[in-house]
Amino acid sequence: MNKLYIFLKYFFIVVWTVFVVAPFLWALTTSFKDFQSVNGGVTYIPWLDFEPNLEGWKVLIKSPAKGGVDIIEPYFNSLFVTCTASLISIILGTLSAYALSRYTFKAGFVKNNDITFFFISQRIMPPIVLSIPFFLFLSSINLLDSLTGLIVVYIVLLMPIAVWIMVDFFNKVPREIDETALIDGCNPYQAFLKVVLPNSIPGLIVAGMFCIIFGWIDFFFAFILTFTEVQLLPVKIVALNSSVTPWWSLSASALVSVAPLIIVAFIVERYLSKGNLSGAIK
Amino acid sequence: MAKIDLSNISHSYNPNDPNPVFALNPFSMTWENGNRYAILGPSGCGKTTMLNIVSGLVRPSAGRILFDDKDVTDLKTEDRNIAQVFQFPVIYNTMTVYENLAFPLKCRDFSKSKTDERVNSVAETLNLKSFLNSPARKLTADQKQLISLGRGLVREDVAAVLMDEPLTVIDPDLKFRLRRNLKEINEQYKTTLVYVTHDQNEAMTFADNIIVMSEGEVVQTGSPKELFERPNTTFVGYFIGSPAMNLFESEPSSNDSVKINNTLIKTNSNLSKLKTKNIKLGIRSEFIKIAKNQNENLVEVNVQKVEDLGNYKLITAKMGSLTIKSKVTRETEIPNQNVKLHIPAEKCCVYEDNKLI
Repeated sequence: MNKLYIFLKYFFIVVWTVFVVAPFLWALTTSFKDFQSVNGGVTYIPWLDFEPNLEGWKVLIKSPAKGGVDIIEPYFNSLFVTCTASLISIILGTLSAYALSRYTFKAGFVKNNDITFFFISQRIMPPIVLSIPFFLFLSSINLLDSLTGLIVVYIVLLMPIAVWIMVDFFNKVPREIDETALIDGCNPYQAFLKVVLPNSIPGLIVAGMFCIIFGWIDFFFAFILTFTEVQLLPVKIVALNSSVTPWWSLSASALVSVAPLIIVAFIVERYLSKGNLSGAIK
Repeated sequence: MAKIDLSNISHSYNPNDPNPVFALNPFSMTWENGNRYAILGPSGCGKTTMLNIVSGLVRPSAGRILFDDKDVTDLKTEDRNIAQVFQFPVIYNTMTVYENLAFPLKCRDFSKSKTDERVNSVAETLNLKSFLNSPARKLTADQKQLISLGRGLVREDVAAVLMDEPLTVIDPDLKFRLRRNLKEINEQYKTTLVYVTHDQNEAMTFADNIIVMSEGEVVQTGSPKELFERPNTTFVGYFIGSPAMNLFESEPSSNDSVKINNTLIKTNSNLSKLKTKNIKLGIRSEFIKIAKNQNENLVEVNVQKVEDLGNYKLITAKMGSLTIKSKVTRETEIPNQNVKLHIPAEKCCVYEDNKLI
């Protein structure tokens, strides 16, 4: 029984690992292939099966004049927009979540839970519904095709995620911690900053991770709200496509674009496994 | 350190309702400086509400709170200089033991040297000295609770330390040690300690004054001895003591005696002003003994059960339909069947409408 369990455990771990890692390996080898190696039947191992070359990678940094796409600027645009919007969303979201978790709001029949749901409901609509209002809104304040405009829109999209995660998290942080801080002589702001917030770092990290992921992978709004001045990475990658699909440069760009998320995942995993909250009370 | 006056305090969680439900009915009380108080009562009787009102976490619907004759009703928690220890140890997880203990002083801008001195002195008292630099979250539950307590004690001028069932999560043998610790701390620092509990043993061994509460009402305040011997209401008699006080339906027969099951029992109470027929006679099982040579206040009972509870025996007997319990020493010989028990008149409490006469 025990042996069978261990066997099955490792079996499924291996299957899952292959399932997750295989596409990356596939993309990695493809990125070093040329037209013939891609179209000449299945090949796996460089130098043995096919002759690797760097054409696919070079296209990413070559200027358009020389037949490349130059993703460096869109890359940093994406990093800047995602990080700024995530940071602002986390700050605003955490403050609103704390208020929603600790204080009672009432406006007619609208209470705390309704307000929390209102935040989440922003994400229930299909994005296409929001595209026209966003477009008109940004054009009315002259922020179409600008980084600032994108940041504003991304804050609207990411803040609900932050609020949702942090409300749940603060609800799990015992109220007695705030009360103890008050009794120890903090004012409510100090209690929040010095006591509650340090205890909520795991929650902040999870919320931050989701904001970064959803911000980074967004194609739809980046596509609709920008034209020529500003481009974000997902839009640029799609622009790579042409009548002859350049699998090598698409694979290379896929790997480049997923790299920041992998780094984020590794950092987050380390923090989450520490389990900072366990033992706050009890 | 302060004298705490609660004057006409009452609290309702829905004061704007046409029929507000009171978690605390109006009461007044004074807590003298440096004493140990226990608030005792079953769950949901308003104990915690009372504590939260004193610490300022809850604002009473009516009444005033005075610390050393200064009105603090409208003062915020952080300005009241109160320490409160909750049922579960609350520690600041992200800080070390030292930082935890120093936190209240840091919030009040104490100097580094003063903080050091206070933290070390408190850590000494609580046996936390060797842990000062370890992360607080790594400690055991009882050590964490000591930290909670320590944060209350680092402030020399703290008005009172309020404890809300602080020993619930602690092992029984540690409980005993901590309770003794608390007493020593009280004697050493002369801090007013207020201790909420639903465990009468805890209250009896810890406090010199016990406040018994029931359904939002303060039913009796007094020393453990007073509560034990002269419970104000049948509730107190029932709630305090193990086994509970013997209570018998009875009818008055003269100015100082009542009849239970046609047996005349003389009491020391003045029964001339009784208004209702709802009369009960209460007597602690500790005071009922097997009759030797007394010739009054005797009841004839039928022994049902004798339990040997270590240092004493508990007799359960029937007198007609009434059950009567008596605690006797281990050495006492108990006849198998009928036996005469003596009820001492001076220990009898007579209750009219469940209130002591």
